[in-house]
Amino acid sequence: MADDTDTEGETEFEEGRYLYCAVTVDDGTDLDTDGVDDEPVRLLAVDDIGVVLHDCESLYDTADMDELRKWVLQHQNVVDAAGEAFGTPIPFQFDTVLTGDDDRVREWVAEERGTLGDYLDRLAGHWEYRVELRREEEALREDLVASDDRLAELDEEIEAAGSGTAFMLEKQYDQRLRELRRERRTDRAAALRDRLDEFVLDVNELGERTTLDDEDGDDDGMETQARFTVLATEDDEEGMGEMLDEVAAETGVEVRFTGPWPPYSFVPAIGGEDGTETGG
Amino acid sequence: MSNSGGPTRQSDSLADVVEMLLDKGVVINADIVVSIGDTELLGVQLRAAIASFETAAEYGLEFPDGTDMRRVEQASGRSELEDDDTVTVEGGEDDAALDDEEQSDTERQSAPELGTRPNDGARAESAGGGGDEADGDEGGDEDASDEDADGESASNTEQAAESDAAAEEADDDD
Repeated sequence: MADDTDTEGETEFEEGRYLYCAVTVDDGTDLDTDGVDDEPVRLLAVDDIGVVLHDCESLYDTADMDELRKWVLQHQNVVDAAGEAFGTPIPFQFDTVLTGDDDRVREWVAEERGTLGDYLDRLAGHWEYRVELRREEEALREDLVASDDRLAELDEEIEAAGSGTAFMLEKQYDQRLRELRRERRTDRAAALRDRLDEFVLDVNELGERTTLDDEDGDDDGMETQARFTVLATEDDEEGMGEMLDEVAAETGVEVRFTGPWPPYSFVPAIGGEDGTETGG
Repeated sequence: MSNSGGPTRQSDSLADVVEMLLDKGVVINADIVVSIGDTELLGVQLRAAIASFETAAEYGLEFPDGTDMRRVEQASGRSELEDDDTVTVEGGEDDAALDDEEQSDTERQSAPELGTRPNDGARAESAGGGGDEADGDEGGDEDASDEDADGESASNTEQAAESDAAAEEADDDD
């Protein structure tokens, strides 16, 4: 998307198709639902590959975040419905519009048939699940303080020091605590990843950036230690859930486990430089 | 904690949805395909703006009855502070709302770690690039408003540690 910055000006066009996802088409199955901005959604089938879309004349761009949120949820609903009707879809990024009519869509599908078919086959029966490991801030701190000699030393030195020196030592103390937190996060993330690997087809670690409450110590006093998105079958759900229950059994540990989602994080960029993963 | 074996879509799933649709999803590279461009920035803005989830239920994400909306709102409020470069683009009313929240002090104390994460730097950059107004804020509001000054130290931990002992002291209360 970055290499097409000039498209930002082209938000209006005569005819376009807003694309939600590509699916493997069964005979006779259709989709009847409303999409972004309440537009009627339909399936355009090109042999065995179907594209879920609606007709549009402009991109969906707004500074109104309420409206954007509504669109995003409407988009997701369509992809959910498509997944229910046709099995695992290839979900496109929000606000992807192909300019032109149905024939242009057909041409595009024909051009990308190989890529689309490969991914539909590979992803069939698989869904994205998201796992977030969180730890009670206070419990974590106590744990780290109790287990680190350097912190204990600093603590003693602070006790014995004058106020100026103590101030500097306290800075060192906090610095050390931050390092330990980072290390702990890395350790926990690696351990959880190993365990997830046993169950799933693919695991990606997610950065901190994109959770809603992406920093530790917000009002619920929890710190995120690791975030993963995994590609797994519905049959894997139970095993994953049980494993995560074990992880969550530790005092002060909480696991968020969401899904099944369409495999947003496990799909390629299509066209252009092949094989480029989207996102992270 | 209470997974009972299976995954769910719950109160905070909207954050997942926003992340997946705006940061992930297939990008189609073709001349005939247009997109709004920086959806990632849009995601940051949207996350920042999400303050209430009531409408989500209408559009299909089911939030359990017992969902603590206040907690969710606070979470989103906090993410505004962290993203304050971006948020200023949206206008001032949300900042004003935060001024009234006593809790925001305690929330912010843990924020400095944010700056030590590689991703955060990336976000700050891309957010700054998207909103010129934000640059003006950095100098101007720091003196004028405690809220913003703290916000700055949160996103620029390294500098704050060196040059701003007062901000660092606030961190120590953590």
